[in-house]
Amino acid sequence: MNTRDKRPNFFIREIPLIVLLVFWVIYAGIEVIRDRFDILASIIPSGLFILAYVIVRLTSKEHKGRD
Amino acid sequence: MDLFLALELIALALSGLLIWHSASTRGAAFTCMFFIGGAFLGLVRENVVAQVAALNLYSYSPSAFHLWVGAAPLILMVFWSYTIYLALTFSEVIVGGNLISGKRRVWVILIAMVFMASYACLNEAFASIYPMVLWKFKPALTVWGGTPAMVLWGYAGLALIFLMALLLAYKLRIRTIYRVMIFCASVIVMIPLHLLWIAIFRLATSVIN
Repeated sequence: MNTRDKRPNFFIREIPLIVLLVFWVIYAGIEVIRDRFDILASIIPSGLFILAYVIVRLTSKEHKGRD
Repeated sequence: MDLFLALELIALALSGLLIWHSASTRGAAFTCMFFIGGAFLGLVRENVVAQVAALNLYSYSPSAFHLWVGAAPLILMVFWSYTIYLALTFSEVIVGGNLISGKRRVWVILIAMVFMASYACLNEAFASIYPMVLWKFKPALTVWGGTPAMVLWGYAGLALIFLMALLLAYKLRIRTIYRVMIFCASVIVMIPLHLLWIAIFRLATSVIN
């Protein structure tokens, strides 16, 4: 069976976002604990990508269709 | 459990989730090529870089990592795969493109490269805490924690080289097993290309300074 024939559920579809968020929180969290937090390196660049991804997902036609 | 060992295991588990995502959304052939090829690239490249002194780049700190394959931490088996996979997926969603079908392919690759540089900022700031990497040279230009600026350039370049090689191998009209083998074998081309990519940046920044 071709797995691409079935549309994956929300959890599977958003695994990349979940994975990046987990890394984001762990890395930034440890940096804060170790007093080495740098918002310019750890939050802003990847944070902009997360923001762009979420905006695209929320404004996409398929998302609006489901709502 | 040691914090760093826990992080290594978490990274392996999260990579498993990405493999699941890839298999569910992109199919078995793409997933095998991407993650087996990525594992091969990670282990071979990092062993070459760590063990060939003439390259004068870096090695990995024995005090930071627990699980090793030769001179490379085991985590490198999944690191480049999951990083480039995140870059590809985020890029495809953001630009509404698709690397394989060709829809906005140039933009997909360019945004994936920018993502990789952004991820390098996050990862290298974190890596400098322990430190994970022992630099063998004094860089002409540094960013956070003394990390050479070429690292951002290097991450972006590896995404470009990896995705282009993947695309070429994926488009071959042969059985998946042969495509996987060819993609793995292409590591012997990808590694020198990437080292050349880095050398160009090092040369340019040393000239500017």
